[in-house]
Amino acid sequence: MNGNPYIPKLAVIENIKDETPNIKTFRLKFLDEALQKEFNFAPGQFIELTVFMYGEAPFSISSSPFSTDFFEITVKKMGTVTSALMRKKTGDLVGVRGPFGRGWPLVEVRGMNILLVGGGIGIAPLRSAILFLLSRRRDYGDITLLYGARTPRDLVFKEELERWSEHLDVRVTVDRGDEKWRGRVGVVTVLFDELELDPKETVCFQCGPPIMMYFVTKRLLEMGFPKDHIVVSLERLMKCGMGFCGHCTISGRYVCLEGPVFRYNEVKGFLERAVEVYSE
Amino acid sequence: MEREFLTIAKESLNELVDRLMETHQVIAPVPRNDGVVFDVISSPKEMDLEYRGHTLLPPKRFFFPEKEILFVYKVKADGVEIHDKLEELKSLRQVIIGIRPCDITGLLVLDKIFTKMFKDPYYIARRKNTLVIGLTCNEPAEYCFCVFTNSGPLLKEGFDLLLTDLGDRYLVEVGTEKGSNVVRFNPDIFSKAGERDLREREEIIREVAERIKAQKLPDFTSLYDFMRRNFNSKIWEKYGRKCLACGKCNFTCPTCHCFDVFDDPDLSLKSGKRIRVWDSCHFISFTRVASGEIFRRERTSRVKQRIYHKLCYSVDEIGIISCVGCGRCIDVCSAGIDVREVVRELEG
Repeated sequence: MNGNPYIPKLAVIENIKDETPNIKTFRLKFLDEALQKEFNFAPGQFIELTVFMYGEAPFSISSSPFSTDFFEITVKKMGTVTSALMRKKTGDLVGVRGPFGRGWPLVEVRGMNILLVGGGIGIAPLRSAILFLLSRRRDYGDITLLYGARTPRDLVFKEELERWSEHLDVRVTVDRGDEKWRGRVGVVTVLFDELELDPKETVCFQCGPPIMMYFVTKRLLEMGFPKDHIVVSLERLMKCGMGFCGHCTISGRYVCLEGPVFRYNEVKGFLERAVEVYSE
Repeated sequence: MEREFLTIAKESLNELVDRLMETHQVIAPVPRNDGVVFDVISSPKEMDLEYRGHTLLPPKRFFFPEKEILFVYKVKADGVEIHDKLEELKSLRQVIIGIRPCDITGLLVLDKIFTKMFKDPYYIARRKNTLVIGLTCNEPAEYCFCVFTNSGPLLKEGFDLLLTDLGDRYLVEVGTEKGSNVVRFNPDIFSKAGERDLREREEIIREVAERIKAQKLPDFTSLYDFMRRNFNSKIWEKYGRKCLACGKCNFTCPTCHCFDVFDDPDLSLKSGKRIRVWDSCHFISFTRVASGEIFRRERTSRVKQRIYHKLCYSVDEIGIISCVGCGRCIDVCSAGIDVREVVRELEG
């Protein structure tokens, strides 16, 4: 981005899709067409989104990097900025900075089997990777998506999950079912029981709450996954996105610059407790 | 490069400041409360260049203000109009005089941080538009330990001019082209320095260094491996219990650069400001994310974060430690946490 990197560029909300009662997908497009054309990102990267009067917050891009006319973010109502965003309508303007950070190592893992594990809204950055993989389906081996949500009502990208299942193995679980639910019940690791994976030939991308990533990582290590075959996207509150504000640092590493996507062997060396849980 | 040395009579320094004030905003140490702070002066008479050790607060706020409006915006029917505050910094011309080698080193650290991968244009604009006139110490303060952080009592770079108080006059070392121009445009004020002047400075610096060296601390610039090895030392729990998590050490540190960013809307809800304010890694909210997760919940982890950032993480990040040995964090800590003691205790 040219000029002052603190200044957001204006983008219009082209479309809003209700995913769940508190999650929406916003389709955005820069007002400046040239800017929209130049806007290249890698799946797993994030933007800083401004809702004017309310502030700025980081969001993973959830759309395909091959869709060049727009980009999407999938947002759960959590705090000030997300609540204000939920009230926005099609045609409203927001501000965007980015993209920032390092995305999923999609090119590096060509030829391998891909295991994607998402928990809750953590599926947002995985969707961008899935859409990339679907466009390059023949470059990869088996692709499996394990997705866990709290209840059937909380499942994001419902119709897409069905569409994706034609090209990849999609397995879903919920923490609590309802009267209509006939799928799996339990946390996302229950889905591992039915899987047959070759750890040497498979790389796992995961994004979800820290507790999920802890148990998934533990499970993968038990299964014999090499440490660099485990890839995590870490949630931190990147306020500036540029390695200045300090909020996202873990042991001196800036998640906004070096992450949010890390291989487990990189994360393991982190000294702090919140991350040490991964290294036990 | 051969350095240029000059002298300036004490009365003439006031004259020089007077002249600089015609075109620049001049920031100098002025008496405040029980010490001195840097502030904008309107007359050279306000300056206190005889202060001992360091000022109460570091000079970083004149380069990275505690509260700074990044841009203002107006939301209109047909769009949003953004006015970048950076524009206003382009015409800024400031001089900071009387800044110590430790604090100059602090600026050199901030220079690296704010130009790492991205460039912080606000910091850079202020830095570029500021003339730095340093002043070495004649007497260290109680908590000074710059000798062990390689940031004093003398330094090689970071200043345009560097003064040393020789009693009735100052020795002036020219550090940059910018500093050289000041000399060139004010030939009536400066005289060529002689052997005697240089020897006198050497003597003063040596004496200050000796006094600081008497503390017999380890070399802080090479504690990296030692600190890493001691990450799980038992002493950290004790300091975690002691620390009040007030953040004073952050706000008085010449190199702490963390900030929070928020929007301040006008009550008409038609215009707003994007503001950044200094933040502290000791605050529990510092690592809180939207889901409510707090990654450094334990106070111990926050005490460690700051000390490890200064002595280890900073080395990974910018190649040098970011403690400049000014001792302000020791001076202000209500819980009596002293980084020198922490290191000594780890050494056992």
